[in-house]
Amino acid sequence: MDYLTVAMAKGRTADRAMDFLEKSDVRFSDFTDESRKLVIYDDKQTIKLIFVKAVDVPVYVENGAADVGIVGKDVMMEDPRDVYELLDLGIGRCKLAVAGFPGTPVDEMPFLTVASKYPAVAKEYFDKKGIRTEMIKLNGSIELAPLIGMSDVIVDIVETGTTLKENGLVVLQEIAEVSARLIVNKASYATKTADIQQFIKDMREGLEVRA
Amino acid sequence: MYSEILANEHEKHEKIIGTLSKRFTTYGYKRIKTSAFERYDLYSNVRTSINQNEMIKVIDYTGEVLVLRPDVTIPLTQQLVQLNGNLPEEMRFYYVQEVFRQTFQENEKIGKTQAGVEYYCPSSPEADAETIMLACHALRDVGFSDVKIEIGYAGFFTELIADLQLTCEQTAKLKTLIQAKNIVEIGPFLEQLSIDQTVKEVLEQLPLLYGAPAHVFERLLNLQVSDSVQQAIEYLQETYKIVELYGLKKHIVIDLGLINHMGYYSGIIFQGYVENFGKPVLMGGRYDALSEEFGIKLPAVGFACEIDSLVKAATHKELTERYSIDITVFYEESRMKYAIDITNELREREYRVISKPMKHPLQIQDSLYTIHLTQQQNQLIEEETTEFVDFKHLLDLIVRKKGVPEWTI
Repeated sequence: MDYLTVAMAKGRTADRAMDFLEKSDVRFSDFTDESRKLVIYDDKQTIKLIFVKAVDVPVYVENGAADVGIVGKDVMMEDPRDVYELLDLGIGRCKLAVAGFPGTPVDEMPFLTVASKYPAVAKEYFDKKGIRTEMIKLNGSIELAPLIGMSDVIVDIVETGTTLKENGLVVLQEIAEVSARLIVNKASYATKTADIQQFIKDMREGLEVRA
Repeated sequence: MYSEILANEHEKHEKIIGTLSKRFTTYGYKRIKTSAFERYDLYSNVRTSINQNEMIKVIDYTGEVLVLRPDVTIPLTQQLVQLNGNLPEEMRFYYVQEVFRQTFQENEKIGKTQAGVEYYCPSSPEADAETIMLACHALRDVGFSDVKIEIGYAGFFTELIADLQLTCEQTAKLKTLIQAKNIVEIGPFLEQLSIDQTVKEVLEQLPLLYGAPAHVFERLLNLQVSDSVQQAIEYLQETYKIVELYGLKKHIVIDLGLINHMGYYSGIIFQGYVENFGKPVLMGGRYDALSEEFGIKLPAVGFACEIDSLVKAATHKELTERYSIDITVFYEESRMKYAIDITNELREREYRVISKPMKHPLQIQDSLYTIHLTQQQNQLIEEETTEFVDFKHLLDLIVRKKGVPEWTI
């Protein structure tokens, strides 16, 4: 029996996705929050779930190591891959935004230093506005950069804005709304069409029950 | 040992080339070769998707810039054009050659062996269908059973947006959305553009025009399209009808969201996928307009596959296969003759078979099916036990379960 391999990152999005599936009677009894397993199977042994780092999900899917992936739109925007993007799961909603000290005149600055986990997205955004930039790629604690004078602004994911607020920063401009997407390997979609469409249907039903 | 792995790889490589060449020959194709060096101008003047940065350039003693063969189709077509019209209406060529592209990824090879066919003939559904059959047949020969060929139409997208006056940027964005079947974002994106409602509807549906041919053609009925698009659809339907006659029905997926991957394709385009491999292993299509860039009409259809991808896919298949034996036949003494007959016939059909007398129940390899031949009955055992009357019945049962390509029956 061939499994449908699904890649996602552990965390809130994965939990929600599994909730959706459970509503369509696809259960992962093996799975507990404390579990450290990286590979789990559903009770009917048709789906193989693998846990990988979020930024790696599209890589697994593009190469066919996973048939399906669940990943934030932000990751897809930063590193576009040759995959199908079939469904907006509407979970993990947040914003990609430019943030900095209140009143920073972003559009009037001739030159900006930008710190971000998303340098490609940030560069494209400012290029379109005709603002010259220098990018500093960081992997975490982005909010620190303006505080210590390393950058003028940051480009990052903003969910509630609490971290920004506690560090004296505010959202200056919104770049895009993002949410979790279901992506599919192009070859798998051709060779396992029925299985994948069933999976999408299960996900969708979960979505509708929630809505 | 690494040297052993290397030798094994090479052996597989050669074996696949042999298999493909043999199959191409049975469809009447003759092998040709093209020069390793081509004039750079040849490529800079032709509309193609080969990026100029990807070409490996060399300068000869006169100062002329040459490139290491980045593809075969373009120089071959140009050569034929130079023969100036003294050409038969139909020509079939195949090649197995290295093509060279600079890659920007570290451990990717610059030179890759490609095997492909070029069928120079006037555009017709018959010719295109036969080429698709050959693609399928060749992949099956290499050992893949779950071959899928996605068929699209190169002009479809271009025709649709022809009158829309989109900017380059908008076209590129729309292409990306369609290629990703991004149903979520395509609607809002089209909403921003001030375009005709009926075209908008078709574009929005484009990512969904995917799947079993009958299903896609049915969906198309509900869409309003221009005459030229309608003609494209009819050509596609004609072609599919013939493909179906070849017995390929379950290997075909129609994908109207498939967009021209080589700049020069004009009609039918297709790509081949095999089980458990994440990338297309074969790409092709009709390129009637290419020769016109050199001044005459020399319509053609063809495809190419990268041998390295096939080797990888085949290796992957071996590794993931659960059984190295398809069928084990156990027989009682009195049924020996029948057992041998069945075994022969099955092997003839390329099943991997072992047969053993029942009185020696030795430990043998797991197999997908087991057959028991006793004095009283013939049984086929998989998850459940089924009785079969004769060989034809047995074949029916196996085929239904294992899903061997239809045309082998």
